[in-house]
This record gives sequence, structure tokens and C-alpha cells, in this order.
Amino acid sequence: MVAHRKPLRSYWRRGVLYLALICSSVIMFFPFYWSVTTAMKLEQNIYVTPPQWWPDPATIRPYIVVLTTIPFPRFFLNSLFVASMITLGHVFFDTLAAYAFAKLRFPGRNPILFLMLMGLMVPMQVNLIPMYRIMAIFHWLDTYAALIIPSLTSITGIFLMRQFMQSVPDEILDSARIDGCSEFGVFWRIMFPLSLPGIATLVIITFMNAWNDFLWPRIVTSSAKMFTLPVGLTQLQFKYTSNEGQVMAGTVLVMLPMILVFLIMQRQFIESLTAGAVKG
Amino acid sequence: MAVVDRQFPPASNETGVSLRLRKFTRKYLIAYLFVSVPVIWSIVFLLIPMFVSLLWSFTSYDGLHPAQLVGLQNYIELFRDPIFIHSLKNTTIFALLGMSIGPTLGLLTALMLNQKVRFQALFRTAYFMPVMTSMVVVATIWIMLYNRSGIFNTVLGFVGVGPIGWLSDPNWALFSVIIASIWQGFGFETVVYLAALQNIPKELYEAAIMDGASPIQSFWNITLPSLRAVMLFIYIYGIIGSYQVFDQVYVMTQGGGGPIYRTHTLVFYLFRKFQDLRLGYASAIAYVLFIILLIFSYLQWRYFSEKE
Repeated sequence: MVAHRKPLRSYWRRGVLYLALICSSVIMFFPFYWSVTTAMKLEQNIYVTPPQWWPDPATIRPYIVVLTTIPFPRFFLNSLFVASMITLGHVFFDTLAAYAFAKLRFPGRNPILFLMLMGLMVPMQVNLIPMYRIMAIFHWLDTYAALIIPSLTSITGIFLMRQFMQSVPDEILDSARIDGCSEFGVFWRIMFPLSLPGIATLVIITFMNAWNDFLWPRIVTSSAKMFTLPVGLTQLQFKYTSNEGQVMAGTVLVMLPMILVFLIMQRQFIESLTAGAVKG
Repeated sequence: MAVVDRQFPPASNETGVSLRLRKFTRKYLIAYLFVSVPVIWSIVFLLIPMFVSLLWSFTSYDGLHPAQLVGLQNYIELFRDPIFIHSLKNTTIFALLGMSIGPTLGLLTALMLNQKVRFQALFRTAYFMPVMTSMVVVATIWIMLYNRSGIFNTVLGFVGVGPIGWLSDPNWALFSVIIASIWQGFGFETVVYLAALQNIPKELYEAAIMDGASPIQSFWNITLPSLRAVMLFIYIYGIIGSYQVFDQVYVMTQGGGGPIYRTHTLVFYLFRKFQDLRLGYASAIAYVLFIILLIFSYLQWRYFSEKE
């Protein structure tokens, strides 16, 4: 009896577990599915009862309309350029500073580090309005400079890389110095290659944040030729169309690149985005 | 002596200083060069704006006329401003509700995934995909789901409920935004908790079973204490992030802030006042937000370090 009951109970438990996992995954996946299929429905079929679970007939017209009536390709290129530049900036400036903070001794190092740690507490929204004024003073409003330069480096990135670089033994660096390597050479030839796993994390976090950023691009851009994808998407639905199919086509175009990259490099993405939490 | 004098000429004070300066420069210049860009960046884009913002919060600055000092008037007006009180209340509800449901869902799903399930990676992907997705995209999709004749109301109609004005009904609007935000975000907590759960040594559980502990006892006495550090991280960053909520509120209300201010949040109201060119007033909102966030990080650090 006893020996019989236990496996039965554990079958039940497994069953409930899988049921819960499958149901919750369906809930998670459904909004994506619904946006992709809505973008392929005829306008009169979008809000019908009973709902069309599958587009019938399917159409790609919403995509064509979106791509031709508003400069979506331009938004895409803007997003790609801005996010790439920001990522490049982080890879260079964050790692360079992190190297100095992790491995070089210089007067004022710890006070500067401490001030930067304090700087982490300042939310970006507190600085929003003065930052806008600074952009206006530099005549950077509605240019790539405003989208890129304030995000070229970050304290979080420096601390992330510093933590990574501290685990590199000093002996490796010292032997390079004895061989006559300049300090920049030590950084560039020894530290940078050794930090590549950490840099991958930095690249993923930075690129994703820049690609998805909304408030700052929303504030500093005013003409369509400077919009990034998220700003362009809100303009599409606020101003250009009330056709839900077209809005969803825009949505799919915005999310598709990020999701594709994510699916290809899933493990790195998840490890990168949780790096701070698990270590800290 | 003369030889010594020639080799070590008695340096005048000036050349001694400049010599030392040269040596100092040669030794440290490279390090200062390496940190220069982030330091300048911090000064220009962090330190100066922070103080300017504080200064402006005591003025009637409107971006056009020279700023007039008004003392604490902005702050006094804030706490008499019903829309600000609404924003503060909504943001707090958003943070408290979001943070009591989101991380709990994350922990639940992580515990499920940790049960040696098949297709673990696939389920994890399902939870994590919205985290990767821009909040603007998520909000846009959920507007459609929340539509009066959208899929949620259609399905509710099958069981005879509704239709609900998810985003237009003042009693629902904020909760609808919260639901969409939880859906977007909890996958992050899932993977963080899952990684932490996998780090707990198996021997602890084996020893507990030997001692006759029930799974629930193991959970309370082994699992939860082992997750304390990760929880600290999740709740601190979660609360701080929740208080900064803007994107989904802005998009889901089409820039309007919801029925009778029911989805106004602090940053949304700040944005509104910025658009109205009430820059001094907006700066005061920014500083109230800043102080709230500082209190939260302080309280939570205290709480967790006392428990250690």
C-alpha cells in the first residue's frame, strides 16, 4: 500500500508541475503570438467575436503600409547607430577606467571611486531637466550627439568591469611591464583580451538598454529623422494610424531584431543580465 | 665635497617642486588619463545637473526668464497639489503591488524550474522573453489586448463577465498597467532566483531529509535563508526601478496619464511639468523622488544587514 501510494502521488505532483509550467508559458507567449498574428489580419477581422485565432485571410499589407508611410527603416538605422556607438563607448571608456581603478595606484583613486559609488544613487530622472538644458547649450538637441554622448560611459559599467578585472592576477601584468610594455599596451594586449567574457556582458547589457531606451530619446528628439525605434513606435500609434494591424506590424518590426539576437545568444544574455545579482 | 656638489647641486625650491611634479606626472599621468573621460562625464552629466536641479527646485525657473528664488514654495505647493498627491499614491501602489507580486511569481517559477523538469531552457525562455523586449513594445501590445473589444474582454465575455474598461475605467487603469508590468518583468526574477537556487549545495537538503525535515521545513530553513543576498538585490533594485516607472504609463495612456489622473506617476508628472515649462516645480518633483529612493535604499540595507 505504502509503496504503491508514493509513486502515484509523485505522478500527480509531476502532472500539476508540468501543467503549471505549460499554462504559465502559454500566458507568457500569448501576447507575442497575438501581436504577430494581428499584424497579419485584415482590419475588419482584428476585433471580432469569436476572435480569429489564426489570420484568415493572412495579409502583409500592414507591414508594407508601415514601411512606406513612415520612415521606419530610418528609425531602425538610428537605433542601430546610436546603440552601437554607445556600446563602443562603454567598451572603451568603461574598461579603460576600470583597469585604472582595479590595477593602477594613483593619488585620489579611492575618493574618486567613492564619489562614483555615490553617483550610482542618483536616478537619471533627477538630472533630466538640467541635462536637457546642457544639450540645448551645446546645440545638441535633435542630433545624434544628444542621443549618444550622455550615454557613452556609465558608473555601473565601470564597476562591473572593475570587479571582473580584479580577479586577473597582478603577476601577468607585471611580467608584461618588465618586458617593456607601456601601460596602455598592458591594458590593450593583456587586460582587454583577458576581460573578453566580462566585456561580452557589458556589451549585451549596454546594447539592450540603449536599444530599448525611451524617455531620453523621447525628450531630446523632435524630428522624425532623429527618432529611434521606441520613439517612432509611439508616434506611429499616437499620430499616424488608428489601424491596430499597422501598429502591431510596427511593434513586430521593433521587437524582432532584439528577440532574434536573444534566441541565438540566449545563454549569454541570461548570464549577463543576471551577472550583477548573483555575484552581489 | 666639490664632486658631490656637482653631482647633487643644491636644488632651489622651485626646481625641486617642478622635478617632483614631473616625476609625479610621469608616474600617474597615464592612470589619470584612463579615468579622465568617466570623471569628466560624471562631473558634467551627473554632479552639475544634480546640483542645478536642486537649485532650480527653489526657484520659479521656466526656461525663458531668469530664475527667481522662491524658497520652499515649490515644495509647499507640491504637497497641496492633488495631482502630485495622486502621482505619489499611484507610484507607491505601483511599487508595492508590483514588488509583492512580481518577485513572488519569479520565486515560484524558479522553484518549479528547479525541480529537474524537462525543457527547462524552453520554459525559461518563455518567462525571460518579455524582459528583453522594450517596454514601449510591451505596452503597445497590451493596449491591443486591453482594447474594449480586445481578446481579454472577448474571453471574459465567454464566461459572462465584462466588458472591462481596462485602461479607461478609473478603478482599473492602474491595475492594468501593473499587470502588464509584472508580465514584462518577473522573468528577470525567475532567472536570478533560479541561478541562486542552483548554487545552494545539495548536501544541505540531503542532511535535512536525514534529519526528517519536511520539504516545507527545508524551504523555510535552507532555501529562503540562502536566497537572502539575492532577495536584497531584487527588492532594492525592484523598488527603485518601480518608483521610476514612466514608459508603460506614458504609452498605455497615449501620453495622457489615464482617466482622472489614475495612472499619473511621479516621473510622468515630472515629464508633464517639464513640458509645461514649469522647470523649477518639475525639479522639486525630481528631488522628492530622489529622497524617496534614498530612504528606500537606506531602509533596506539596514534591514538586511541587521538580519545577517
